[in-house]
Amino acid sequence: MLPAEPPQNGGYMVAAYIVAPVILVGYLVSLVGRVRKAMGGR
Amino acid sequence: MTAGDAARTLTRRGVRVSVVALLGLAGVYVLALGYTPIEARQGVAQKIFYLHVPAAWSSLLAFSLVGITSALYLWLQDPRLDRFAAASAEVGVAFSAVMLTTGPIWAKPIWGTWWTWDARLTLTLFLFFLFIGYLALRASVHDPAERARFSAVVGILGMLLVPFIHLSVYLFRTLHPQPVVLKPSAPSLPPEMLRTLLISTLVFTLLYVGLVTLRYGLSLAEEARDEAADAAR
Repeated sequence: MLPAEPPQNGGYMVAAYIVAPVILVGYLVSLVGRVRKAMGGR
Repeated sequence: MTAGDAARTLTRRGVRVSVVALLGLAGVYVLALGYTPIEARQGVAQKIFYLHVPAAWSSLLAFSLVGITSALYLWLQDPRLDRFAAASAEVGVAFSAVMLTTGPIWAKPIWGTWWTWDARLTLTLFLFFLFIGYLALRASVHDPAERARFSAVVGILGMLLVPFIHLSVYLFRTLHPQPVVLKPSAPSLPPEMLRTLLISTLVFTLLYVGLVTLRYGLSLAEEARDEAADAAR
């Protein structure tokens, strides 16, 4: 039987929707930094 | 074209593709929050699925390609295959980090616990650590041919875990939900959820392509720098 109202757990979704891009954008930024360093800081 | 020019071209292309994919991810957020319905039993937390599943797909794709290119490297000895394997492994670890953080955030409200040592979760964590080890091995061996050979063997062993992880929900008693798309029968999702999931999977795959291109360009740039340093000695 379905519950009358869906459970209130939006905070978990917000946390996941923040953590995922932080990891991915953080990795992209770190790669760009490593490329700049390898190319002599240009 | 010199190695330095090729590195510059690839890194620029990789950044462009990655930025487009991240804009696509913003579009996925709009779809997930505004278009897909709220699941009655799981509530809003179910929407974590649109990030967790594509991240899992991208990491398993990345590690499978590490294994395939590693096997091809052992056969053909082409350094481009080794460079690709290294790039794919590092990007796969980044996607695994997304999978291994969004998974427990979903599990806490749905299962009542952040983590359980069942087959799917344990094997996935083991694969993550195995590829951390792969990257550590690459960083510790300085001879390029030896590094490529040793890491190719680890990469192939890592790939062998991928089918076990996919099939673990059938082979073992597990809390983890069974596949809803990659299974013999038709996908068991409402059309709005399925569309959002497929679009998110495409966006994550595009991000994989962008990050691997950028990481491959980084390897070329580092090789060009090391060669220039050797020539100057």
